Amino acid sequence: MTVADALMLALGAIAVGSAVFVVTSSHLVRAGFYLVVSLGAIAGLYLVLGAELVAWVQILVYVGAVVVLLLFAVMLTRAPIGPSPDLDRPALPAALIGGGVGLGLTVLLVDAFRWTEYELPPPGTGRRVGEQIFGAWVLPFEVLSILLLAALVGAIVLSRPDIGARPDPNAPADTDTPPPGPVDESDEVRARLERIAARQAAAQDRLRAQRAAETAAAESTGAAPVKTREDVLKEQAHDVVFRAREAGPALGATQPEMSDQARPRVIEGTSRENQTRALPRGEDKALPRGEDKALPAPSKRELPKAPDRDGEEA
Amino acid sequence: MHAVIPYVIAGLLFALGVYGVLRRRNAILVLMAVELMLNAVNLILVAADATIKSALSGVQPEAWAYPVPEPRAGAIFALFVIVLAAAEVGVGLAIILQYYRLRRAVVLDDVALHEHDHERVTG
Repeated sequence: MTVADALMLALGAIAVGSAVFVVTSSHLVRAGFYLVVSLGAIAGLYLVLGAELVAWVQILVYVGAVVVLLLFAVMLTRAPIGPSPDLDRPALPAALIGGGVGLGLTVLLVDAFRWTEYELPPPGTGRRVGEQIFGAWVLPFEVLSILLLAALVGAIVLSRPDIGARPDPNAPADTDTPPPGPVDESDEVRARLERIAARQAAAQDRLRAQRAAETAAAESTGAAPVKTREDVLKEQAHDVVFRAREAGPALGATQPEMSDQARPRVIEGTSRENQTRALPRGEDKALPRGEDKALPAPSKRELPKAPDRDGEEA
Repeated sequence: MHAVIPYVIAGLLFALGVYGVLRRRNAILVLMAVELMLNAVNLILVAADATIKSALSGVQPEAWAYPVPEPRAGAIFALFVIVLAAAEVGVGLAIILQYYRLRRAVVLDDVALHEHDHERVTG
């Protein structure tokens, strides 16, 4: 029993023990991490056996890439964090076949090698492996590189559903004309948007003019009779803070004045015509559909006169 | 060094891999068990690589059998098997994820083998 034997026994115990946990653990993620331990112990076995490059490639490729890929797959398939109850089939046939395979292989190998002492080879270097790969085994190496490329392309093609997807025969064949984006609207929609913008600009101008006239009237009539010092300070602070808002139409201040006007302000999409039209439609289904088409025409005709009444929208 | 130790370890790992492939219902765990089996094969290759020099001590070397002066190709085979395993895991996980995208499940027992839905368009 040499040092190499003891090392191999210990590493083999670690590898086999964690492999047992890989195939029996009820946590998906724990199985992945036990696989890391098992593969690391096998890499240690490679080191003891003198295959240094294989050991480091094992660490790089298996522990660094394959297990990470498996754990990514565990995450992408939304595996539960706790133990999964329905992870296993009934154990008896699998245990029977697995135990039979293990027993057969063990008996075969023990019978073949007995307790024969072998001379441990000198540790292999990357130079020797490189000479062999690019000397005697260069053709399998190239074939393997092509296979790796094919696997790469195949994985990409499998992962992307838009590559190689055949069109659905049940789907309507309107896929040739994509829906118009927000940039290229039709002429009608563009004209409507321009009308809306013009109405909004006119409403803002009107509100500003109203406010200017109101303040001018208040100043001319002397509507501020008694102004204490606190009021002056408050107004100054108000000017500092709210000057930007005062420049625009103030909603809270102008709303009661707007309600006094004969023509109430109409917010976009909530005109009275729509409300009065929506009520009988919900109650009486027998309303003729021609009324819907007849209504927008007069409102569109009176649009130049009343630019802020948008009865034809919606 | 007793060569029987790595061989028996490899045999046990292969048996555990077989057990896992037969026992598990989750496709990812089946792939993990397949990785165990591939590692067992790798271990056998490397162990044979380490012991074949002294086992062949009395054999006359022949030029056609050994194109390189040092007849140790087990490490090369192990490297090739590692590359094959990486490719297999990549494609296998792509298949598993695509199946999960279609069916919201990775349980192998529920795979309908006779259902022709390959025309289905995924979005």
